[in-house]
Amino acid sequence: MDRRDFLKTAGGTLLAGTSCAYAFRFLTSTYANKAGTDIPASGKRWGMLVDLTQCREDCTACMEACRRENNVSFHNDTRWDNHWIRKIKLSSEHDAGGEEKSVIMLCNHCDRPPCAQVCPVQATYKRDDGIVIVDHHRCIGCRYCMIACPYNARQFNFRDDEHWPNKERPKRSHGVAESCTLCAHRLDKGELPACVEACAKTGAGALSVGDLNDPHSTISRVTSTMAVKRIREDLGTEPKVYYIGL
Amino acid sequence: MNITFDRIEGTSLQYRMLLLVFAALAAAGGIATYVVCQKGIYITGMTNRVPWGLQIVMAVYYIGLSAGSLVISGLYGVFGKIEYKPFARMAVYVAMLFLIAGLMSILTDQGRLDRVFVEPFVHFNLQSMFSINPLLYNGHILICIIYLWALFTEKKTLTKVIATLAFGWAFCVHTGTGAIFGFGARMLYESPLLPASFVAAAMASGTALMILMIVGLFKITNRHVDDELIIWLGRFLAICTLVVMYFLAVENAYRAYVVELRGAALYYLFGGFHSILFWFGLMIVGLGVPLFILFRDRTGKQIRWIVVASILVVFGVLCERYVIVLPGLTHPPELFPGMEITASPLVEGTASYSVSFAEVLQALGVFGVIGFLFVWGLKVFKLLPNEARISGPPGPAV
Amino acid sequence: MPERISGKRAGNKQTLLIVVLMLVILFPLVYAVVGSAIPRGSGSPGEFLEKATAPGDTCIRAVEYMRLHHWELLRQTREEVVRYGVRDETGLDKCKNCHTSRERFCDKCHLATSLTPDCWGCHYYP
Repeated sequence: MDRRDFLKTAGGTLLAGTSCAYAFRFLTSTYANKAGTDIPASGKRWGMLVDLTQCREDCTACMEACRRENNVSFHNDTRWDNHWIRKIKLSSEHDAGGEEKSVIMLCNHCDRPPCAQVCPVQATYKRDDGIVIVDHHRCIGCRYCMIACPYNARQFNFRDDEHWPNKERPKRSHGVAESCTLCAHRLDKGELPACVEACAKTGAGALSVGDLNDPHSTISRVTSTMAVKRIREDLGTEPKVYYIGL
Repeated sequence: MNITFDRIEGTSLQYRMLLLVFAALAAAGGIATYVVCQKGIYITGMTNRVPWGLQIVMAVYYIGLSAGSLVISGLYGVFGKIEYKPFARMAVYVAMLFLIAGLMSILTDQGRLDRVFVEPFVHFNLQSMFSINPLLYNGHILICIIYLWALFTEKKTLTKVIATLAFGWAFCVHTGTGAIFGFGARMLYESPLLPASFVAAAMASGTALMILMIVGLFKITNRHVDDELIIWLGRFLAICTLVVMYFLAVENAYRAYVVELRGAALYYLFGGFHSILFWFGLMIVGLGVPLFILFRDRTGKQIRWIVVASILVVFGVLCERYVIVLPGLTHPPELFPGMEITASPLVEGTASYSVSFAEVLQALGVFGVIGFLFVWGLKVFKLLPNEARISGPPGPAV
Repeated sequence: MPERISGKRAGNKQTLLIVVLMLVILFPLVYAVVGSAIPRGSGSPGEFLEKATAPGDTCIRAVEYMRLHHWELLRQTREEVVRYGVRDETGLDKCKNCHTSRERFCDKCHLATSLTPDCWGCHYYP
């Protein structure tokens, strides 16, 4: 037997063996992975309302509360700091002496999330209730979602942060992408997101969340009666964070 | 025409030194990748605003370089130009290696390398270009292997079929690679022209690389190649280069014309380091000068000058890949049209990116791996023809 | 051509040998991949394991089941919590109430079997 025959036989067997094993695994796993699909949908559609007329310029309660609640990594370096919620200052390009406006930015939990569309492993996805979440157990860290997000709302865990203020909640390993989860863990238990709670307690009560499917919720009433804006509505991503006074 | 293929002896000192150099590069890249995986990718030049860097640039560059086989298999397998048969084995082997290099660059760039070999196969997302492309790349590698087998065993019908398949598949590969960016949401990415211009640039760089490899290898190993073959490839290179330039011109003219994109166009054309790369690296050195050389009668028919032009095109397309990937990221997304963000805890304006040492090592490492495989392959497989001549007794096509 | 025929036979034997060898090499992979999908009987690691100090309730599943399948349950729970928002009694944080020490209830066995799940890089367990 010469080298060529050896290679052919060996390669063929290896290929056939591995593919059989994986085919078997794949066929059986289709049943195993079905868990959870019979869970009834909540019928909710969460949205956030930001009242910029109430928001105080010097207050950063929401940012701090988010960091404490979700163990968001912070290195005091703008290259790698993550901010699930952030306050920015805006001024008009046209009149230089104009007033500066302070705006709260967070993940918009779009109804048509571009980040979920491009995720190659479906780690980023939209839950039934409209919250866009990263499954950190699955994320491979390709960072395509950060490219796709038009709102600059997604960040990456570039390095480990040993700081761990809230031991009840996980932190992230380096190498996965993340963004605001609208504190889904708290909403599921019927509590308010950390930023909303902090804003009501120590801030000015500018933030609120609610069910957009429920016509009697505050957010539904406000969005249907008052002049509200969303960021870059023209992109067609259907954001669910509404602003009063933007 | 009777073409015999042969291995090289591979016993000279230079050959062993070359292998050693490539192995050393691969080892350095491996170490760099290990360190990056352990510490987190903050030791590369990437940041929250510029999440893709040199590795992605190199990945799309490598994928583009594999297009040499597209040209050769098109000429020989699809259009039946028997005189290009001598290069077919080499071209397909090189294409396979560059596709592997592209995949390696993408894989080693991931944040969680431990999951890369599991999750993408278990949870597939057909809406994502990042899911579709590895499928295309892997498929192309597979096609290349079958193609090589058909060529080695001189199976004529199979060669014809697989060459046609490879030709079409390669188009999909380069289109798909372009679509990673072209279908993206960044202002300087979003362009339906990008996938098409990717194909053109891939063919230009692939042809240029083929010219370099043919001329170089045949010279080093004292084999004869007819000048006409190279000159014809040079002409083809000239056309590809012209098409690339045309696409770039249309794309930038569009951006500069549409009011909405004018700011982005200005940033692209006159906004910093990438603009220097664009104008001098790509437009003048990478495309303009080669075009001049190739279209001028006196220089376009001299092998020496064609080689120079090829080197410039290979360099120019590397610049092109850089100015596709990075300016699109450093340019800020328009969050509030008409407004300016004056303060933020994140970098909201124009971001900066500088290549880090670790990334360079990683890129060199990938190059080392495929360089090693290529040089070694010359000794193991019968890749090189004894000679490449146009004239000879006429034989059946393919 | 008698030589050729005998040569072919020898070739067949060699082929068989290589196939068998490759299958032996592949066996761990096949075993692991296939085995993870087949429900296995109880092969108790016995006294190696420690008993949890239950503050009242019993475990959510039988001990035998938990020994072999706790990871499946955890993975299923993870899937339900992360992807469907179902947060009921089987969360990791509930396990901690009785299995109070990570060293005693995770690391001991996992070190012995050289399995390193990466739960604790992100989740807290005292």
